[in-house]
Amino acid sequence: MQRGACHSVATLRGPTESEPALSASPPPELTTADYPLSINRPELLRTPSGKPITALTMDAVVSGELSAEDLRIAPETLQLQAQLADASGRPQLAANFRRAAEMTAIPDAEVLAMYNALRPRASTAAQLAELAERLERAYSAPVCAALVREAAEVYARRDLLARPTADVG
Amino acid sequence: MTTTEPRPSIRTELLESRPVNLDGFVEEWPEKGLVAMESDFDPAPSIRVEDGRVVELDGKARADFDFMDTFIANHAIDVASAEASMAIPSAQIARMLIDPGVSRGEVLAVTRGLTPAKVLDVVKLMNVVEIMQGMQKMRARRTPANQGHSTSARDNPIQVAADAAEGALRGFAELETTLGVLRYAPLVAIALQVGAQVGRGGVLTQCALEEATELELGMRGITAYAETISIYGTESVFVDGDDTPWSKAFLASAYASRGIKMRFTSGTGSEVQMGNAEGKSMLYLEIRCILMAKGAGVQGLQNGSISCIGVPGAVPGGIRAVAAENLVASMVDLECASGNDQSFSHSSMRRTARLMPQLLPGTDFVCSGYSAVPNADNMFAGSNFDTEDYDDWNTIQRDLQVDGGLRHVREPEILQARNTAARALQALFAHLDLPAITDEEVEAATYADSSNDYPLRDVLADLKGAQSVMERGITGLDLVRGLETTGFHDVAQSLLNVLRQRVSGDLLQTSAVLTADFTPLSAINDVNDYAGPGTGYRLAGERWEELKKLRHVTSATNPETEVG
Repeated sequence: MQRGACHSVATLRGPTESEPALSASPPPELTTADYPLSINRPELLRTPSGKPITALTMDAVVSGELSAEDLRIAPETLQLQAQLADASGRPQLAANFRRAAEMTAIPDAEVLAMYNALRPRASTAAQLAELAERLERAYSAPVCAALVREAAEVYARRDLLARPTADVG
Repeated sequence: MTTTEPRPSIRTELLESRPVNLDGFVEEWPEKGLVAMESDFDPAPSIRVEDGRVVELDGKARADFDFMDTFIANHAIDVASAEASMAIPSAQIARMLIDPGVSRGEVLAVTRGLTPAKVLDVVKLMNVVEIMQGMQKMRARRTPANQGHSTSARDNPIQVAADAAEGALRGFAELETTLGVLRYAPLVAIALQVGAQVGRGGVLTQCALEEATELELGMRGITAYAETISIYGTESVFVDGDDTPWSKAFLASAYASRGIKMRFTSGTGSEVQMGNAEGKSMLYLEIRCILMAKGAGVQGLQNGSISCIGVPGAVPGGIRAVAAENLVASMVDLECASGNDQSFSHSSMRRTARLMPQLLPGTDFVCSGYSAVPNADNMFAGSNFDTEDYDDWNTIQRDLQVDGGLRHVREPEILQARNTAARALQALFAHLDLPAITDEEVEAATYADSSNDYPLRDVLADLKGAQSVMERGITGLDLVRGLETTGFHDVAQSLLNVLRQRVSGDLLQTSAVLTADFTPLSAINDVNDYAGPGTGYRLAGERWEELKKLRHVTSATNPETEVG
C-alpha cells in the first residue's frame, strides 16, 4: 500500500535539464550489498539542487559554490534508503523514509508548524482535514496526509481535538 | 550485661555509614504501577485479526483502544504473522532468544507479530543472565559502541570543546550536550561539533533541547543527530508531554527528511513518576513505548529508564526490568542506546552492577551517555559514570575482555587534542565574529578537569553571540568554511565529511555510526551474526591490543619499567 506513494514522490521535483539520463531511467533495484550508498553507489546520490555528491568538496565550500541547500537529502535518496530498509526487513523504517521523502518539499518552518498542529488539542477536526488536504495538494504527500487523517480520527475518539470555541469555566 | 539500653552494634553503625544506605528503596505498590515487571494488573496477551486489521489487543476490543493500543495495532504489529506468533508458547520464544542455534533473523520473524503483553510474558520468564544472553544475539549492530556527555556547569563552550575532543579520542562514537542556560545552545553545540571532530573525525554530535529548537539546530547542520524525543507508555502521560504517537511519528519523518539520524527516548518508571501509570507495571508500559517507536519507523530508541532510574532502582527486581527493556528494544530490531546515564546510586558497587547487563553482552551504545565531564559539570543531572571512572572502566574492559567502547589514551595525545580543540574554536569564533576566546582560556582548556579550572566568560556577550548565530542563519557549512580558512584543514574536512552523510542518508539506517575513515556502520553492513561461542563480535586483534593498555602496566621483561 505504501509503495504507491513511491511514484508520486519520485516525480515531485520533476526531471531537470541537467540530468536527463537519470530521470529517464527507473529507480535502480537495490540490495543490502549496495549499503552504504555513500561508498558503494555514490553515483546514485545527488543533492536536491541536482549536484552529484562528489561535488561536495572543500574547494566548492570555500569558493562559496555550495549553499546549505546542497547539504540536504533529496527525496530520491530517501526512496533508495527506503528500498534498503525494506530489503533488510524493516517495513516501518521504510514507511518513515517514504513520509520523509514527501516532506523534503516542505519548508522548515512549515514542517515545524505541522508538527505543532498534531500536538494534543492543538487543532480542530476541520483544521486537521485541511492540513491533510494541503499535504496532498501543495506537496503531493499522500502518505503524510494519511497519517494526519488517521490522527484526526483517533483524536476525535479520544477527545484530543481542539474545541472550536474558547471554553472558559 | 553492663547495660540494658538498646544500642546499635558497632557493625550496624559501620553498615549504616555505607554509601548504599543513602539510596532510596520502597515497597512495591502494584495498584499505582510502582512495580517493576510482575503485576496482576497487567493484561493477559491476546490478539484477533479480521480483514487484515487487529480488532482485539491484549484483551481489549478495538472500540476500547486508547491511542497507544491503536497506534501499536495499526503500525507496529505485523498482522500477517501475528496470530501464528502469538500462538507460540512464551517459554518457547524465550528459549529462542537465548538459543545460539536460532538466528537473530528467526527471532525477529516471531517478535514482529507480538503484542505488548506477550512480549512481557516472554521476558518475565528470563533471569538476568538469560536477558544478557538474549542481548548478545539481538543487539542490532555487531560492533558495540558508547556515547558520552560533554556539558559544562557554566555552559562554557571552550570546556565543552576540550572535553568533547578528549571523549572522542577515548572512543565515544556519539557525543551529546545540553545546557544550563538554554540560550547558550548555539555556541555550545558548535563547540561540541568542533571538539568532537578534533578528537576523532566522524564522531556524531547532538544537543538535547526542546523538540523544535533541537530540530532547528539539526536542520542547520550544527548537530548531526537527535535523541531527546520522549515517548510515554500511557495516553494520559503522553498527552501531559504535549504529544501523541502521531505527532512524534511526524517528527521522526521530519528529521529523516533533512537526512538527520534520530532516535526516541523512553524508559521504565517515567509514567509512575509523572503520576499516571494506570496501575500497570513499569516494564509493560515501557514495552508499549518500544512498540510505538517501532511503529513510528524510527530507527532506534534510548531506553533503560534514563532519567527515571531512581524509580525502578528503588523496587525489587527493578534493575532486571531495566535490562529487560533494553533487550526488548533490541529484539524488535531497534537500535538501543541503553541508559547507564543518570546518576543512580551512592554505592560504587551498585553503580557497577547496574552496568553489567549492558556492558557484558554489549549494546549499540552501552551508556547514553557516560559523563565525559566531571559529574558536577554534567547538565543531564549527572551520569552513572564520569571522567573519574575512566581508568576503572578501561581496567574492567581489560579484566573481562569486553568492549565497552572506550580505551586508554596517553597523556600527550590527550593534551594535544584538548589544545587543538580549544584553538580551533578560538579561530572559528574569531572568524565568525563571536565573543573572543583568549590564549589564557586555551591554556586552561588544555590542562583542565572541571569548569572551575577555566577563566570566567562574559556571559552576556556570549548570549548575544549565541543569538547572532541564530539570527545570521549560520550553518554547518559556515563552520567548515571558517575552520578551513583559519588553517584547521583536518577538522574542516572531518566536519564536511559528516555533513555530506546527510546527503547520502546512510546514517538513517538502524544503529548507524561513522567509523574513523567515515564509513557508515549500521545493522545493514555490520549485521549481528552471533551464533554461539566463537561467533559474533569478539574482542580480538588490534582492538584487543589497544584495550590491554592501561595507565600503569608493568613490563614483563623489565619489572622496573611500565609499558603502554
